[in-house]
Amino acid sequence: METEIDRRIIIFILASVALIVLPHSGHIPISLLVFFYSLLIWRFCVLWDKKWIPKKWLVSLLSAIAIYQLYSLNQGVFGRDAGTSIFITALGLKILESNKEQDFYLVSYLAFVVASSQFLYSQSILMLGYILFVTCSLFAALITLNTKNNDAKPAIKKILTMTAQAIPITVLLFFMFPRIDPPDWLLFNQQNTAVSGLSDTLRPGSISKLGFSHDLVFRAKFKGKIPPVQDLYWRGPVFSQTDGLNWTETNNRHFLRQMDKLVTYGQPSHYTVMMEPQDGHWIFTLDMPTVYPQKLIKNGLFQLLNPTKPKKRKQYEITSFLKFNTGKLTDTEYSDNTQLPAQPMPEVTQLVNELKGDNDSAQFLISAIFHHFKNNDFSYTLNPPVMEINPIETFLFKARSGFCGHYATAFVYLLRVANIPARVVSGYQGGSINKVGNFLEIKQSDAHAWAEVWLENKGWVRFDPTSAVAPDQFSEQNLESSTAEKQKNFEIIENKNLFNRWVTRAGDVWSNMDYEWQQWIIHYRGEKQSKFLSSWGITGIKSMFYWLTVLVFFMLGLFTWVILRNQKTNIDKVLMTYQRFCDSLAKVGVIKRKAETAHDFALRAKQLRPDLANNISLITWSYINLQYKKDSGIDDFKAFKKQVNSFKA
Amino acid sequence: MFKNIRFFKRDNTVEKVVDLNHQRVFILPTNKGLSFLVLIAILFLIAFVYNNNLCYLLAFLLSSIFLISILHSYQSIFGLRLELIGCNKVFAGEMAEVNLLLSNPGNIDRVNLNIGFSKSNKLSLGKQKQKKLTFFLFVEKRGWHRMNKIVISSTYPFGFFTVWSPIRFSKKYLAYPALASDNCPLPMMDIEESVEEELMNSSIAGGDDFYGLKTYQDGDAIKQIDWKSFAKGQGLYIKQFQKNATASNQQLWLDYDFTTASDLEEKLSQLCRWVVDAEKQGLDYGFSLPGFSLQPSHGLNHYQQCLEALALYRPVVID
Repeated sequence: METEIDRRIIIFILASVALIVLPHSGHIPISLLVFFYSLLIWRFCVLWDKKWIPKKWLVSLLSAIAIYQLYSLNQGVFGRDAGTSIFITALGLKILESNKEQDFYLVSYLAFVVASSQFLYSQSILMLGYILFVTCSLFAALITLNTKNNDAKPAIKKILTMTAQAIPITVLLFFMFPRIDPPDWLLFNQQNTAVSGLSDTLRPGSISKLGFSHDLVFRAKFKGKIPPVQDLYWRGPVFSQTDGLNWTETNNRHFLRQMDKLVTYGQPSHYTVMMEPQDGHWIFTLDMPTVYPQKLIKNGLFQLLNPTKPKKRKQYEITSFLKFNTGKLTDTEYSDNTQLPAQPMPEVTQLVNELKGDNDSAQFLISAIFHHFKNNDFSYTLNPPVMEINPIETFLFKARSGFCGHYATAFVYLLRVANIPARVVSGYQGGSINKVGNFLEIKQSDAHAWAEVWLENKGWVRFDPTSAVAPDQFSEQNLESSTAEKQKNFEIIENKNLFNRWVTRAGDVWSNMDYEWQQWIIHYRGEKQSKFLSSWGITGIKSMFYWLTVLVFFMLGLFTWVILRNQKTNIDKVLMTYQRFCDSLAKVGVIKRKAETAHDFALRAKQLRPDLANNISLITWSYINLQYKKDSGIDDFKAFKKQVNSFKA
Repeated sequence: MFKNIRFFKRDNTVEKVVDLNHQRVFILPTNKGLSFLVLIAILFLIAFVYNNNLCYLLAFLLSSIFLISILHSYQSIFGLRLELIGCNKVFAGEMAEVNLLLSNPGNIDRVNLNIGFSKSNKLSLGKQKQKKLTFFLFVEKRGWHRMNKIVISSTYPFGFFTVWSPIRFSKKYLAYPALASDNCPLPMMDIEESVEEELMNSSIAGGDDFYGLKTYQDGDAIKQIDWKSFAKGQGLYIKQFQKNATASNQQLWLDYDFTTASDLEEKLSQLCRWVVDAEKQGLDYGFSLPGFSLQPSHGLNHYQQCLEALALYRPVVID
């Protein structure tokens, strides 16, 4: 195309491309970003003054710089970051030397690839909305480029129509196109955006301020009723080894075979756990999980683990029995869970003896410890003093304030001194109900630590010593952990305010939307897809392709009809309608001669049938108008048709 | 095998009016369209490798838009109506003027149309609008000519597809021989002068040679107009004169044999020029080609008869 492309068209394209690259600014190296936008601005300068056109050797030099830059970023060639960098660099260089129509087409195509790469970084609804917007803008720019019409308005109108028509087909393709998981070797090393959650070491003494974020850890959707809050303990790391300061997980967790048989009773609870990207292996479930996906491992600590750290959102179908008996203890378990770092201090032994009295029952001691915490000025705080040396003793006898970690570790320590097997379990407790989607959202602030004690004939039993000092935590609807306690009270007061209730409600709606989004869009693949499609009677890849083809062609047929229907020439339709009028007159003997004009025919017909004179002139007048008046539209035709239809000779 | 496929059918000429319906509109992807398919393939690859549903969604959206754009491309010329208004007769070596009427009876604007015989012209047409188009075709040889096929095409909206409709009107047009250059005087100029003299005399004398008045027709010589009656407001008349026998052998005869050129076509060109000049000067002229002759006369009819004879003249070849 020899003719020069209008400046405004080029600006439209460049602006669209700039918008497409923009969200990458958060995650590509800053040097690359600067490089790209400098080239883009350079191209803009060329628009205003030809003297800015880069010389050939300069373009080569820039390419060399770009290659060196990519090389020095050390990202390799494959993978998400490397691919994105390469495409953005190529896009920048291509923009600079673009001049002809096909150059800009290539630029647009590259920009589409960059748009797609945005989804590798963010899969939010907002990002999809943004990408849809810039895609439409780029398509509109392509229309202006192709038509050489620098008026963007008709192009935008056109692309909006086309997108509206394309969306049903897109939806169909999305739900019906069979997803096949890529082979493992194709999964490039993806950088994670994992939430750092619970750690595998508990060190309550060294924390002076407990600050958990409100980041979402996982969601749980129950089939049926949500269990009561005192059962909502989501099991995570289990700490049975301690050196007095740190509590760590034992290495002996794979003795499942030697363990006693698990007995469950009561009603099972079925639920789906949808995990956000995690740093750890733990899948947080309610005690005691019995049915779970095969790829997960259940170990001797009754934890569910994912052998590969899930760096992406994943969901698992779990069945748990809330009532169970783990049976007898193995020797290893016994020694692990009665282990003490050293000989306990005399005052600790004395306290245990005091609490125990002459009753040897474990249960008595447990309730004694609970009473001790309750009645001796122990308090719950999120800002405890630092207890670096002998943390447990300091907590028990000096500080007397702390959070769940302090209470759980001290509780377990005291029991172990009395030679009762006990361990600390951490995880999450409770969660907040999303009223819109009826699922639980568990946040970092719901992190908790509690204790498990092995009791004769009962197996491992959960005790939460923190509840001795913060009993409110479990009252009524409060599914929030203690971190949010103050907020909760605050909310109750403010709840009278309609606006605040609306804000809460809107938050729930948004959160639910996000949940459904995760469920139906992000995780729609594999099993989920086959399950959904089989509910429509479509099973197997063959039948998926069959129905996909049939439905896509059906839709295209429909659109063909919609789009091409109106194109039947109006003149023909008018003629045909007029012919019907003539036919009905012919039936009563008034026949139009071939050479007769409509006007002459009307005059003759009126003479022959004076009773119809009014209608005949009306129809003839409309017909002549439709045929020869310039601005007659579809409404005029409809009126004409109506007249003819109601005409009876 | 291909006989029944309309693409290969020979005779798809149209008389006067043609509607661009599904039988006349063709569509094929362009290079840009094919490379867009490659782009979609790349997007699918990215989606597959990263198992990313939103990447799939974008790939699906682009595919859907690609599919929908087939229909919109098709729509861009579908339903147009092209009507041949006519084309004038022309001398070889000049441009023939073809007039067409393109109308858009549909309810959408047609933008970015290309229409033309050999090279195309850009054009857009609003809904329910029509436009008169004039094309000039260069004509090289005399005789009947078939009109080249005219192509209406468009790549709207994205340029991924090109839709086109080739149209060939069955109407032929006639080209007269090329006009010889100005500097070949009519044969027997002396006669012409004498006739003129005679005309003058007769009009002055008002003698019996004056035959009567006749209503003016196109092509009649201006010199013969009876201005007096025109001035009286009686309309345009021309004076007719009775030609006497003595004048008849002095009449202007445009004869093939009088031509000075050597080559057949050049001779015809010269004759052509004579006919045009004689008609312009309002003379009566006889016309003669081997095997064809017309008695001296003038006027549009006579003029056209001469020119047509020249256009279609085929020398008899004797073996």
